[in-house]
Amino acid sequence: MVFSRLFFIYIFLPLCLLCYAVARGTKAKNTVLIIFSLVFYAWGEPVYIFLMLITAVVNYTAGLLIGKYQGQKGDTAATVSAVVYDLLMLGVFKYSGFIVENINALFSSSIPVPNIRLPIGISFYTFQTISYIIDCHWEKVKPQKSFKNFLLFLTLFPQLVAGPIVRYSTIEKEIEERTITLSDVSYGLNRVALGLGKKVLLANQLSIIADSFLGNIGSSTMLGAWYGVIAYGLQIYFDFSGYSDIAIGLGRVFGFHFDENFKHPFICKDITEFWQRWHISLSTFFRDYVLYIPIFGKRRKYGGLFLVWLCTGIWHGASWNFIIWGLYYGIFIFIEMKIGKKNMKKIPVVIRHIYSKFVIFVGFGIFYFEKLDKLGTFFKTAFGFGKNGFIAVQDKISLMNNMYLVIVAVICCFPIISSIKKVSDKHFVTKATVTSAAAIASALILIVTSVMLVDATTNPFLYFRF
Amino acid sequence: MNTNEIIPRLNEVFRDVFGDSSISVTASTTADDIEDWDSIEHINLIGAVESEFGMRFKMREVSGMKNVGEMINIIAERGK
Repeated sequence: MVFSRLFFIYIFLPLCLLCYAVARGTKAKNTVLIIFSLVFYAWGEPVYIFLMLITAVVNYTAGLLIGKYQGQKGDTAATVSAVVYDLLMLGVFKYSGFIVENINALFSSSIPVPNIRLPIGISFYTFQTISYIIDCHWEKVKPQKSFKNFLLFLTLFPQLVAGPIVRYSTIEKEIEERTITLSDVSYGLNRVALGLGKKVLLANQLSIIADSFLGNIGSSTMLGAWYGVIAYGLQIYFDFSGYSDIAIGLGRVFGFHFDENFKHPFICKDITEFWQRWHISLSTFFRDYVLYIPIFGKRRKYGGLFLVWLCTGIWHGASWNFIIWGLYYGIFIFIEMKIGKKNMKKIPVVIRHIYSKFVIFVGFGIFYFEKLDKLGTFFKTAFGFGKNGFIAVQDKISLMNNMYLVIVAVICCFPIISSIKKVSDKHFVTKATVTSAAAIASALILIVTSVMLVDATTNPFLYFRF
Repeated sequence: MNTNEIIPRLNEVFRDVFGDSSISVTASTTADDIEDWDSIEHINLIGAVESEFGMRFKMREVSGMKNVGEMINIIAERGK
């Protein structure tokens, strides 16, 4: 099921909230959440839901064994088995086609390429189970004894299909006991409206520009290529951060406090900072579980860095462009590391902003084109070697028609809401005014979004395919 | 080794790694207190601390350290 569908907003969610409110006590509320989460998932994945349930059983059992044999051989065996199982499932369902294709290409063999559909959310929930298992092994968390509670952690529908990758440690206590205040509910609902607005009003509209210019890169001009890739970058940001807003907001309505996944990434001054602000739950996962892997000896800094960015690329998809995209970021992080933080700061801020935005948006180009020949055409076109010149009539028309959309999108990349709150929270009158204004704005966003969704046939979130 | 012996030596390592002679670490110092202390610098720091105290950290320790206090405890146990 998709958040940005009228069925979800007006039937599923209200029904879930009603049952949740009626249920007495945390245990009953958890039952409500699990049932609705399973229905939410089964709506789009009636078959693969069993894969997720098996994964839940395997990891839950491994967690218990780790707890039982803490520090002994059984602990390591259970940890390794569970992580291998998780990676194997991800490998089979996400990468088998890609691996076979490349083996065929490399050895001119003709092994039939398996046509396996990607189970929704597998990249996200697999990382959640891996982090749970390793945290149990490292004794950072106590293994969850109740299967029901473990299932709730894994299936909790706000974050199930496209993140954030919520760690067990983040909601460990809230699974057992949580209080929901009126301000939680109000904050959560505002956040949901904000996310819906980002998705439907900005991302979906920007996608039209991105697809018309990047989708037909062979007939785009140089300006068209840049315009398209900027629209695409903004689209991904509003799509994915909008999804995270909805997830965090819904979580809050149910009394869970998830960590932030985006912190206005485009205001970054360098690439290192970009990744501290973009898809934070993924980069912290790699930081905690991959970066410090002690297999590179004295070269562990470079080895760890390379491995993290290779994994980041691979995680995004079974396609070479994602691997290139990951390593591309690894190179810039490496360069920044070599220059050093002190020297980086000496470079004028304007230049650092231009440099980082340039790298990021070229990166989005790599991210867009799964076919490498098309990616080549994009590079040629963007850097002035294309066959369609610098500017054409269709560029001007699209720019004129979408001027306000692009301006609003760019403004929304800045931390406006938090800046307003910082000032308004100082006095109760301004605070009350801003709170009321936020409620009105949320209601307006919801109305406009609903109107726009009436005609929408399909608008899945981009990160559903990862 | 006790904490009083460790802190001055550790402080030197921090000053050296972060190139800042004004750093003065305590058990409660965290990565938030030192501007440049991010995940990459963390590897540099761990490497420098390891060679200063002639010991190795385990991955779970490198990854899970919440503050300098935890680092000191590990050094007190295994450092030279």
